[in-house]
Amino acid sequence: MTKEQKVLLKVENLKKHFPVKGGIFGNKTLQHVKAVDGVSFEVMEGETFGIVGESGCGKSTTGRTILRLLEPTEGNIYFQGRNLAELNNSGMRKLRKDIQIVFQDPFASLNPRMKIQDIIEEPLINFGVTDRKERERRLLEVADQVGLTPAQLTRFPHEFSGGQRQRIGIARALISKPKLIIADEPVSALDVSIQSQVLNLMRDLQKELGLTYIFISHDLSVVKHFCDRIGVMYLGKMVEIAEKSRLYDKPMHPYAEALLSALPSPHPLKKKKRIILKGDVPSPSNPPSGCTFHPRCASCMDICKTDQPTLQVVEDQHAVSCHLYTEAGKHSFAAGEPV
Amino acid sequence: MVQRVLEVDKLKVGIRDDGRKISIVNGISFHLHKGETLGIVGESGCGKSMTSLSLMGLLPPGVERHDGDVRLGDLRFKDFTKKDWRKIRGKKISMIFQEPMSSLNPVYTIGEQIMEMILSHEKVSKKAARARALEMLKLVGIPRPEQVLDEYPYQLSGGMRQRVMIAIALSCNPEVLIADEPTTALDVTIQAQILELMKDIQNKLHMSIVLITHDLGVVAEMCDRVIVMYAGEVVEESSVVELFDHPKHPYTKGLIASLPDVEEQREYLSSIPGVVPAPGNMPSGCRFAPRCSLAHDRCIETPPQFTTESGSQVKCWLFEEKESEVAAT
Ligand SMILES: Nc1ncnc2c1ncn2[C@@H]1O[C@H](COP(=O)(O)OP(=O)(O)OP(=O)(O)O)[C@@H](O)[C@H]1O
Ligand SMILES: Nc1ncnc2c1ncn2[C@@H]1O[C@H](COP(=O)(O)OP(=O)(O)O)[C@@H](O)[C@H]1O
Ligand code: SF4
Ligand code: SF4
Ligand SMILES: [Mg+2]
Ligand SMILES: [Mg+2]
Repeated sequence: MTKEQKVLLKVENLKKHFPVKGGIFGNKTLQHVKAVDGVSFEVMEGETFGIVGESGCGKSTTGRTILRLLEPTEGNIYFQGRNLAELNNSGMRKLRKDIQIVFQDPFASLNPRMKIQDIIEEPLINFGVTDRKERERRLLEVADQVGLTPAQLTRFPHEFSGGQRQRIGIARALISKPKLIIADEPVSALDVSIQSQVLNLMRDLQKELGLTYIFISHDLSVVKHFCDRIGVMYLGKMVEIAEKSRLYDKPMHPYAEALLSALPSPHPLKKKKRIILKGDVPSPSNPPSGCTFHPRCASCMDICKTDQPTLQVVEDQHAVSCHLYTEAGKHSFAAGEPV
Repeated sequence: MVQRVLEVDKLKVGIRDDGRKISIVNGISFHLHKGETLGIVGESGCGKSMTSLSLMGLLPPGVERHDGDVRLGDLRFKDFTKKDWRKIRGKKISMIFQEPMSSLNPVYTIGEQIMEMILSHEKVSKKAARARALEMLKLVGIPRPEQVLDEYPYQLSGGMRQRVMIAIALSCNPEVLIADEPTTALDVTIQAQILELMKDIQNKLHMSIVLITHDLGVVAEMCDRVIVMYAGEVVEESSVVELFDHPKHPYTKGLIASLPDVEEQREYLSSIPGVVPAPGNMPSGCRFAPRCSLAHDRCIETPPQFTTESGSQVKCWLFEEKESEVAAT
């Protein structure tokens, strides 16, 4: 990240809690799933910001809440300085042109009964572009950008392979000339051979069109290849944010460290030492007290069981949320083996 | 010589379409040594799961063995009746499936499902079977094993369910374990736990494993030897180190080159153009030719398997001159 870069998106204390209904009539809110619970980060113009973490930690919910596909429970989302959380529906609709999303499952996310050209064009119609000539011009332009031929545009989704369907999804996202694309696991359903085609395409488009990406993935080697800065999520919170090489060389948060060590080795003779975490990810409806990672943390101290750490910049644009790096933590005692 | 616990001999698996035989697995041969882990890799749709299901006698309706045989010790699968399968499944050869939820029965407790496997193979009392089930849950590292014994699958997390699947698969000490994408549905930290567990148990029980995966990182971590499948055929067989250091078949090279390298940063990744052809719509000659940048005149004919100096088997014409003996295909 260079100094001149401008902040394109700023997310501040974002929360999304889902009510869990119960009771005899299923109408009482028993508890809340804290899917996203106080997430803050910035995305610079032209960069790729990665979000990683295990299943259920809130990556997709973060992405959808930024787009207001889900209403935030709390928090602010500034896009080019304007607070999206305060926009009404029509204001938001205008802004949607600038922020688009590409989904994980290329099989489920395309309407099987629509022709490819109608799928790609649909956003323009939603944004009120009534000029058919103009729509067609854009259609052919984006089709060319993602490598679809004009003949393919009159066909239906089932005639396409996974990689091709993902190209269609990307074309659809590009047609409104967005500035920011949120890509939620765009290559997770694809074989490595096809995955690399799609990643190369996304990189070309970024250069050509000056796009900014938020790239959500659970695949740590893909994220390392593709992103500039990375945020690591655990149970609805960002626990560490750093530039990619810093994070992979020197993770600071014990969870980030364990997560990165779990990455399979790239070669049979280079087996690594792994940190094997105990237990499973706890339920986000009933997160542990204090630091939510404490029951699985080998460095857990007394203070971790009661006080929640906050995300703080500790070194050169490297932010971490852990008592090992706070004043209070330095005076606490080791709590022994994690349970 | 190392003992071969499993031998697959020119196995053909396929469907019938109007009486016409369409092959999904097209005459593959491989073997498994005692105590080793053999990897099977390839893109999705290459026939990995159909191969593993035929090793268990569990092919889906409509899919059948057209030709070839499988030998497990002195047993020959060709002559097997349903009753024979019931006797060996779980006892001699056992399988872990990709999706742990769909392969556990939702209406029985975890304990009942492990006990059923034990009681169907061994003449022991229910009490002894329950004790053994508990022992298995402990072996696979399930927290609170006493309680989990009486819980139902929906009460467990994905990682715990996969551990239960392993516990069931191992409860009768099988000689051979077939694991079809055992960690694909799991998170990396849980995947690390499960792989560690499989290695550990393999050492304790001296089991042989066939590990099917599309993840080359898992292969590097776990396997001794690897076969690469493409479009229903084995295109390369190598030791794991040879496979990563000197991949030979253009398809293997393409797969390895597509991996993002965690140590070296490249701006672009290489990729393989095109997709795996569908059964019934296979190109003639070398099946990889339409996607191969090295395809030449010779490739109109189907290449046999050539043995290279390093001992690898490669089904590609590029290895014709260099080889010494030609194995039949
Ligand atoms: N509509 C909803 N109602 C209730 N809970 C929800 C809803 N959507 C998501 N959740 C819960 O919120 C948490 C975060 O979900 P989310 O989909 O954001 O996870 P994720 O990090 O994207 O996971 P994955 O890697 O599996 O895609 C999970 O516990 C999930 O079960
Ligand atoms: N029940 C079935 N009936 C007919 N064809 C099938 C069936 N299941 C899978 N196939 C086909 O067999 C081929 C190989 O499938 P599979 O063994 O599942 O591949 P892999 O496990 O390598 O991804 C694919 O082309 C698939 O479409
Ligand atoms: S705050 Fe404490 S429990 Fe949490 S990650 Fe840091 S050391 Fe571990
Ligand atoms: S036989 Fe020919 S087409 Fe097939 S992999 Fe070898 S070089 Fe390529
Ligand atoms: Mg998600
Ligand atoms: Mg499969």
